[in-house]
Amino acid sequence: MAIRARRYSQAKAQAGTNLELAWWVFMRVSGLVLVFLVLGHLYMSNILINAGDVDYNYIARRLSNTTWKIYDWVMLSLSLLHGMNGLRYVLDDWVRDASARFWTKMVTYSLAVLVFFVGSMSLLNHDFSKGLGESTQLEHGEGTR
Amino acid sequence: MYRGREGQWAFFLHRLSGIAILLYLLIHVLNISAAMWGPQVSERLFAIEHTPFFRVGLLGVIGAVLYHALNGLRIILMDFTGWGVRLQRELWYGVWVLFALFFVPALIKIVPEILHTMGVI
Repeated sequence: MAIRARRYSQAKAQAGTNLELAWWVFMRVSGLVLVFLVLGHLYMSNILINAGDVDYNYIARRLSNTTWKIYDWVMLSLSLLHGMNGLRYVLDDWVRDASARFWTKMVTYSLAVLVFFVGSMSLLNHDFSKGLGESTQLEHGEGTR
Repeated sequence: MYRGREGQWAFFLHRLSGIAILLYLLIHVLNISAAMWGPQVSERLFAIEHTPFFRVGLLGVIGAVLYHALNGLRIILMDFTGWGVRLQRELWYGVWVLFALFFVPALIKIVPEILHTMGVI
């Protein structure tokens, strides 16, 4: 059951296990970090540019840059953990049938692992710089947004 | 939990926006990662994504993220300060003021882009 506390001391008293208390703290810490990472991401991809202009070249340029690989991977890991733990709270509250809850969790957790794996592959294990032409590589030198 | 209608709406909208963002996140990561299979694959996906329907949907996602982020900060203030819970209602109105402050300029920037692709302007 999700912790209902509004203060750390209450959360500590309500948490059934240390793990549950750790998740409570994680949601606040990761949430605070994600505010900056995600709003920064939205600013860069919707305000600085026209999101309708995003194409393969933009992705390839961005994912060839180590800074954005790290930025995106931290954002991917934190947001998936934050989102999946949030979903766990929701399922614990809203799916009353124990076996339906178990299977919903298994399916969504598996999906999250798959998405994390595919996302990590594209960020860390795929060389997007190969397909880039001369002109785009010059742009790359100026820094990608 | 906490009594009062604002608190319950804040809680419900936090969950709803959270679920919507998670759903978008899963699709978004797979969609961007599809670039691993080359330009043809991702251009086909972007052709769908750049339709006005999906661009308006993206505005919804941006709004959901903005609300979830600002209300999340409100939750953190409620959890870790002495005055946060006492002022939770005022903080929630503050969330909406900040929401409008960020979201309206974003709309002013993005809506014309969508109208432009539709040929309206």
